[in-house]
Amino acid sequence: MSETNFDDVIHDIIFDSPAGEIQEVYSSLTKIVGENSKDTLLNAVEQYNLSKNIPIDVEGNRTLLSENNKDGSSRYFDPINGVSFTVDHLNRKAQDIQPYQASNFDDEKKNLYQSIVSYTKDAYPGEVTVATYPINDTTIEIIINSTKYNPSNFWNGDWRSKYVYDTNTKQLTGDIDVQIHYYEDGNVSFKSHKDINQDGVNDLVATISALETEYEKSLDFSFTELNEKQFKALRRRLPITRSKVNWGKAIGNYRLGRDAAEGA
Amino acid sequence: MNSDDKYDAALDLLRRLDPAKAKINLQNLISLEPELAEDLLSSIDLPLTIKQDPKSSNRDFLCCDYNRDMDSHRSPWSNDYFPQLAPEDLAESPFPSDKLRQLEILCNDSFDVYRDLYYEGGVSSVYLWDLDEDTDFAGVALFKKSNSSTTNWDSIHAIEVTNSGNGDYNYKVTTTIILQLENNTTSDLKLSGNLTRQSERDFRVEGNKDEQIHLAHITNLGTLIEDIESQMRDMLETVYFEKTRDIFHQNKNSLVTKNESEKTAQAEIVKGLQNL
Repeated sequence: MSETNFDDVIHDIIFDSPAGEIQEVYSSLTKIVGENSKDTLLNAVEQYNLSKNIPIDVEGNRTLLSENNKDGSSRYFDPINGVSFTVDHLNRKAQDIQPYQASNFDDEKKNLYQSIVSYTKDAYPGEVTVATYPINDTTIEIIINSTKYNPSNFWNGDWRSKYVYDTNTKQLTGDIDVQIHYYEDGNVSFKSHKDINQDGVNDLVATISALETEYEKSLDFSFTELNEKQFKALRRRLPITRSKVNWGKAIGNYRLGRDAAEGA
Repeated sequence: MNSDDKYDAALDLLRRLDPAKAKINLQNLISLEPELAEDLLSSIDLPLTIKQDPKSSNRDFLCCDYNRDMDSHRSPWSNDYFPQLAPEDLAESPFPSDKLRQLEILCNDSFDVYRDLYYEGGVSSVYLWDLDEDTDFAGVALFKKSNSSTTNWDSIHAIEVTNSGNGDYNYKVTTTIILQLENNTTSDLKLSGNLTRQSERDFRVEGNKDEQIHLAHITNLGTLIEDIESQMRDMLETVYFEKTRDIFHQNKNSLVTKNESEKTAQAEIVKGLQNL
């Protein structure tokens, strides 16, 4: 296999992993491709963490990674706690932590951060992390990442909502990603994605809260609908006769019965 | 790393990666380590494909690794491979013995009635093959129902029947059900995956004529598979519609307070301890 192909395959496998299981995926993948490919794997994990805005432990506080809190090629900053750091991407831990003064991060943005944090406290029972990163003078990035991992019971769940708000045009764009993985005696995945595009947003926190609540309710409705309409139409709980099949020689009678009914 | 470790690592990955992309992930892993191909292809259940049997009025039959030879698949209806194999290849192709083929025909007939009663549509196929002992056999019973390209149910029952003497038979069934559901109308929601379960049961088989024994086998296998599918249908319903939804609300919940979800978490810990 060529080097580009190899890198692409590693990238695909890492990017297909549930966020709560990246270490296990890394370890199994290393067993297959060998320690020599460690750099390719770690490089893919770094891209994964950045693209999925994974929370990083910075001395007990969590900070989300994004293109908008990058400081140079490998450093990131946390404007709330005023630090910058490099990242051990596999263990999701900050290293080489230094004081940092974020430009563009005024009281208004600090207040926005606080009000989103207080909204998430009630709406997210998971381990929730919030980011508000300035992109330029008029736009700001808002990310909410909520995780609930329970590998001892074979499940992990992730929520990420990510928005860009333009203070001039009052436009809010973004998307929401949900992924639940259940893997006891099998492998079951629930995934959902929604694009957001809303004009005339004045109360940002109230709008985000309303959008996310509405989305949550629509997913609940979808679950019910999938069960009632699609699942039940695949296989019956019992045959229409309401009794189990009479196996053996007599099984041919079902066909006779049906042919007779159709002939009538 | 020896090849067993690599194989276990590949199985671990396939349990973690997106089950909706199982085929791509399988191909990717084989491209990383071609030596894994044979073991993975014979142990990983993928959604079944459908072919038509031109010798039986183009009737649908199901295809998987168990009835494959080269790029052809044996049909349970005409007992022929399609696309047809060259005579020299066909001479090497696996077929059940004449006696087992009689049981295979009976199984296909009976499970076709079963399919109609429970699935009200779909396709079923049963394939059997001989084992070393004349009275033993192995096989696979397959069911597929699709209501659209994104709504699929695939049942794969791998069967092993062994004679333990004095008319007692042991029936071992390993079942995988692959279920894929999608809702694009109200919100973009994808539920996909598979559950696997092993079952075993002993039955007494009366009689000594082939016909009597065959009838007993189909009755025992039918009863067993009907029970397994009923239990797994309940299991799938619980995991897909209650479990994943519950986990989702442990992440995001506008209605339930933190206390309640902590209670659920505690109940899970207690349950986990009880299972130790």
